[in-house]
Amino acid sequence: MNALLGLAGLLGFGLLLEVAPRVGLVPERYFPPTSTILGELAGQVGERAFWVAVGDTVLTWLLGLAIAVALGVVVGVAIGSVPLVRAATSSTIEFLRPIPSVALIPLVVVLHGSTITSTLILVVYAAFWQVLVQVLHGVADIDPVARDTARSYRLDRWARVRYLTWPTALPYVVTGVRLAATVALILTITGELVIGSPGLGQLIATARQSGAVPAMYALIVVTGVFGVLANVVTRAAERRALHWHPSMRAEVPA
Amino acid sequence: MTAVLTRVGLALGLPVVLVAVWWFASAGSTDFFFPPLRTIVEVFGPTWFGERLVDDVLPSLGRLAAGYAAALVLGVGLGVLIGSNRWVRAVTEPVLEFLRAIPPPVLVPVLMLVAGIGNGMKILVIISGCVWPILLNTVAGVRAVDGVLEDTCRTYRIRGTLRWRHLVLRSASPQIVTGARQALSVGIILMVISEMFAASSGLGFTVIQFKDGFQIPEMWSGVILLGLLGVLLSMLFRVVEHQVLSWYHGSRTAQKER
Amino acid sequence: MRRHLAALLLAPALLATAACGSDEGQSPNAGEADKVTVGVIPILDVAPIYLGVEKGFFEKRNIDVTLEQAEGGAAIVPAVVSGQYQFGFSNIVSLLLAHSEGLPVKMVSNGNNSTGVDGEDFAALMVSADSPIETAADLEGRTVAANTLQNIVDTAVRASVRKAGGDPTKVKFTALPFPEQPAALASGQVDAVFVVEPFQQAVLGQGGRTIASSYVDTAPNLTVASYFTSQRILSENPELVKRFTQAMQESLSYANGHPDEARAIIGSYTNIARDVVARVTLPKWPAEVNRDSVQRVADLALEDGLLKEPAKVGDLLP
Repeated sequence: MNALLGLAGLLGFGLLLEVAPRVGLVPERYFPPTSTILGELAGQVGERAFWVAVGDTVLTWLLGLAIAVALGVVVGVAIGSVPLVRAATSSTIEFLRPIPSVALIPLVVVLHGSTITSTLILVVYAAFWQVLVQVLHGVADIDPVARDTARSYRLDRWARVRYLTWPTALPYVVTGVRLAATVALILTITGELVIGSPGLGQLIATARQSGAVPAMYALIVVTGVFGVLANVVTRAAERRALHWHPSMRAEVPA
Repeated sequence: MTAVLTRVGLALGLPVVLVAVWWFASAGSTDFFFPPLRTIVEVFGPTWFGERLVDDVLPSLGRLAAGYAAALVLGVGLGVLIGSNRWVRAVTEPVLEFLRAIPPPVLVPVLMLVAGIGNGMKILVIISGCVWPILLNTVAGVRAVDGVLEDTCRTYRIRGTLRWRHLVLRSASPQIVTGARQALSVGIILMVISEMFAASSGLGFTVIQFKDGFQIPEMWSGVILLGLLGVLLSMLFRVVEHQVLSWYHGSRTAQKER
Repeated sequence: MRRHLAALLLAPALLATAACGSDEGQSPNAGEADKVTVGVIPILDVAPIYLGVEKGFFEKRNIDVTLEQAEGGAAIVPAVVSGQYQFGFSNIVSLLLAHSEGLPVKMVSNGNNSTGVDGEDFAALMVSADSPIETAADLEGRTVAANTLQNIVDTAVRASVRKAGGDPTKVKFTALPFPEQPAALASGQVDAVFVVEPFQQAVLGQGGRTIASSYVDTAPNLTVASYFTSQRILSENPELVKRFTQAMQESLSYANGHPDEARAIIGSYTNIARDVVARVTLPKWPAEVNRDSVQRVADLALEDGLLKEPAKVGDLLP
């Protein structure tokens, strides 16, 4: 039922955007009707350049996400496991985390030009903190009773990480990955748009440059579809990874 | 006493070390793009604490404040409307999920077509990015209003404004705050991005001008300023959050201790 | 790291070219061709290098050119300095600024020039049909859109204002990419625009008026942009630079003499519609840099406060 209503909502939304420019409610030049956008989209899908751009975007996105997750987990477990290190680094983390990654744009452009490297740096920087903070929360969440138990069974360091830290932190890690995936996508597209590294964002910039308004909208729709996919996939992964978990934990506000 | 000293030491130790490392490692730098930190610090004051504070920094922050405030009002208002009606929620959910999923910076070119290049466009860009996390979190918060409390309200015939204020908004507020926090970081990003596109003033604009004019130490100082602003705003947010949600944190702590 | 890598890549090229002497460099049997990447902006101005690559002017000098499109001269300069590109294309104001800030750049070839004909240039300062603005002097207190600030565009617009008897310091500039300028002008968000082709055609199409040919006002036959390299490439491989310059000169002359072929190639690397390409005013492509005009621009940039001290133009020129 809800799915039907949702579908109706989507159709209605599309219809509204079709009719509004047609009847002159909004200028058609700036708001092409839905059918024009979808037609343009169909045209784009048939082009090789489109798929190359999609490939570049997905590559930048996933590579950046993978690096950020790997770094975040390793650094998070390393810092979080030693209380003294955690205390010594917390102020630095709290300071570095809110630095908007876009502030780095001029810097990476000067250093690496309009390359994927530039965009990757932005993506990794932004996504890393999402993972790190969640991992730190996770490591801190270890049940004291479980910890004492592990200690009395004299589990060695590695076994403690394997059987104690990791299962406790996992839900947080997965949540971190979900948050990071969204942020990474935003920064990937932003980097491509502003820096001009290859990908969908760059295609949008090109469409803007040549005044191809419908193409611009069509590409924006594509980025939205990617965003939805990222949400759906990571949420599904979250459920799957955590189906055993007593409570599908509420995410820790990051 | 020692406890305080230890805490201060732990909080300041690493930052001091890091800055010192940067300072000395870059001291003799002849690399054009990595000027010595000393040079950056020297240009920081003259660069930002003169006319530019009034001409660039404050207008940027003003636009951020305006856009963010509008997004808050819009997001919470619409969120309450949508969240409190099952039908509206079902109809709008996929559309909203889709709109939220669009990376906000790609809207800049579109909004420029529609709203031009003035302050209006930049504020609109900030609104269009900030509104989604607030809206969707409000919807989720309103939907999750405690059933028992709702029944209680009904029993006591608490209706209208009173019900909205004390039941709906109050119980959704932790979620709204979460949304507002996400929106703030999006807002800062969009403040900078919108000024990179079409501007004659603003922080993002000035930093890009330094880049284009090859004034690299000044550019670095701008990057650092943007970072400091991000940190400052997030600290400010935490203070406000503490005020707004003190009841909530209190009850959570109580629950944990139980 | 990147720098070392670039040096490593260049080393064999250096050996190969040293072995084959320097007689025009036309020795295809000298082994591997020198691979160079050139940063360009996808606009009309760079048609000669696209044409030259197609015609084999670089290949026959044993240069294997890859053209990389970038946003603007300000983005290309750092990439050339850091060795990501070996050569680049930039307007001369950005080059003057970079040079004055201590970046080791060196012009190696002319880029493109204004047509030198007032009212018939490939770029123009324009207002909308119903604008009260008659001359550039009326721009005092008004807002002008420029694609990026601190480059040849705002310098040229100020030159027009000055020439018309106005005070250039009273003109406000807004950074706005060329493609958005026609719409911004039409909706009154800016009072005037400085556009190059094909956007000049777009503004004309919506009834806009030209109030000045700013490149013409700046200097006679102004050199607008040029190709450049870094001092490091120049000192490590002067012979490659020499061959690049020769290939560029041949390309420029060819493009200048074959405007139809230039128009055809423009359609291949831009999205400009065929009928518009046929209409646009092309820039001039002389083989040699107009040195006097560069000096004149340097003087203007100093007067406008873009440069803090007089530029050493001689060090920058090829």
